[in-house]
Amino acid sequence: MNALHTFRKLNNALVAFLQVILVVVFAILVVDVIWGVASRYILGNQASWSEELARLMMVWLALLGAALVCREDKHLGLDVIVRSWPADVQRLGRLVVNLGILAFAAGIMAWGGFQLVSDRFASGQTLPALGIAKAWFYLALPVSGVLTTLFMVESLWATLTEDTAEVEEDAQ
Amino acid sequence: MSQELCIMLVCFLALLCLRVPIAFVLGLVTVVTAFALDYESIPLTIASDLANGIDSFALLAIPFFILAGELMGSGGLARRLIEMATVIVGRLPGGLALVNTLTCMLFGAISGSAVAAVSSVGGTLIPEMNRKGYDRDFNIAVTASAATTGLLIPPSNIMIVYALVAGNVSVAALFLGGILPGVVIGLGIMTVAFIICKARGYGKIDTSSITENVDLGKAVFGAFPSLLLIIIVLGGILGGIFTATEASAIAVLWSFLLGVVFYREIKPSELLGITLRAARTTAIVLFLVASSYAMSRLLTQEQVPQQVSAGLLELSQNPIVILLIINLTLLAVGVFMDMTPAVLIFTPIFLPIAISLGIEPVHFGIIMIANLSIGLLTPPVGTCLFVGAGVGGSDIVRVSRAMLPFYIVMLGALLLITYWSPLSMTLPSLLK
Repeated sequence: MNALHTFRKLNNALVAFLQVILVVVFAILVVDVIWGVASRYILGNQASWSEELARLMMVWLALLGAALVCREDKHLGLDVIVRSWPADVQRLGRLVVNLGILAFAAGIMAWGGFQLVSDRFASGQTLPALGIAKAWFYLALPVSGVLTTLFMVESLWATLTEDTAEVEEDAQ
Repeated sequence: MSQELCIMLVCFLALLCLRVPIAFVLGLVTVVTAFALDYESIPLTIASDLANGIDSFALLAIPFFILAGELMGSGGLARRLIEMATVIVGRLPGGLALVNTLTCMLFGAISGSAVAAVSSVGGTLIPEMNRKGYDRDFNIAVTASAATTGLLIPPSNIMIVYALVAGNVSVAALFLGGILPGVVIGLGIMTVAFIICKARGYGKIDTSSITENVDLGKAVFGAFPSLLLIIIVLGGILGGIFTATEASAIAVLWSFLLGVVFYREIKPSELLGITLRAARTTAIVLFLVASSYAMSRLLTQEQVPQQVSAGLLELSQNPIVILLIINLTLLAVGVFMDMTPAVLIFTPIFLPIAISLGIEPVHFGIIMIANLSIGLLTPPVGTCLFVGAGVGGSDIVRVSRAMLPFYIVMLGALLLITYWSPLSMTLPSLLK
């Protein structure tokens, strides 16, 4: 069981880091757009990077946030049917759910996202106003995919070994 | 093709019933169908759809309105609105029920969250109503129904989501269009509540028990800065001073100043938690937007909306009948599905039909939101009903029974909104 606990500690640290990043990204987003509006009125013209930066921040906010929400199991789902099942079947259901999320996160978000990022780095496409590669925008996908994969492995592992106490504690 | 469509539908329902999160259901169904159709480089294509689906300046309004709502909700908004509503409608028979309705409407509009309205406003007023001898289940029913009107009264995130999937629909027009329908539903709820209170002899309010501040001027002055949020947003958009997205950023600034500087109800240390909560809600909504974008791209490519449209129009060409069918379908969907995914999934399918029948996209959006609001109040997944039952200390079955008169008035309002377009379209027409 020790390996699981170590893994869980690693994920806890990742989550703490993730939360800091999310708050920082959100703060940049708010300041950036308010600055965009203000500059249009105070300086007469809006900095062209303001909208680009905002979209970049929002993609990271949405995708990193989605990974966090996955660990907390807070994504919207239809739980009314599962709730009436016996405990054993529910556990089986959980495994399927975790595998489904894992497959999408690893196969599409991480792997597909990785292909996308390397593709865009190779093509040299840039965000014109910020002057950085467009790949930085798409990088949010594989990062979120890898995080989600880690969280789902943890959840699968815990369900398989029936060591879910700590996870439930986290969820509250 | 129809074989792949069947695979898609079966996959969708199976994953949904297993409680795979809807955002991942949409993603996985897209992947499976794309494989069944032998598409090329599937992971890369779907991955880029996910990111491109949320790469929109208009969508930025969503995180901002969510954050503004969180800031407002933590900043003593409920108390101030209750005080003001008490002064305005508190003295009528069944006053507390009316205060509750009015407060929920305003709180729902300002915070943008019907569930937050139920828990914040209901958390204060339901226990108070219980003490005053109002029926517990009635109290929960009033609160939950009134809270959903905030989704029609601007600012409203669901309208931004709708505008995005509908394409070429103005958020400003939707915001304006929702005002009258939202108020009509609210008045309908108040009327029902008033009649029930009068019939059951629920007493006049004892205003001193929920607020010491019964002076009209003082109460309105207290709530005014919060109400100003609605005015700033609408005025700014209408006056062409800023776009809906910029208005949402101004809303964040305003609610920050209000909560932290003027009212001083938010300690700086609480800001981290508030931002993080807003980030979670944002991620839930935007990730849904991302994966539904991937799916709707596939649906469009396979011309599924056209097929559904042709099938429906084969049944009837009569707009009244088609709208009835669409409404009944959405009511059934709303029973099982939350509003955001329902709007994301069904707008691309139904909107083209509505447009071909001559219905304005803005009007159709209002119909959808009014319709799906009812789904928030029905078991087994009505989130407002569940939160209300939790806050008020009752169970779903009993509350559902108390909901009956409110279901009737909301369905009546839905019919009115559907078939009498001036209710939704008069205000937006002022924009042109």
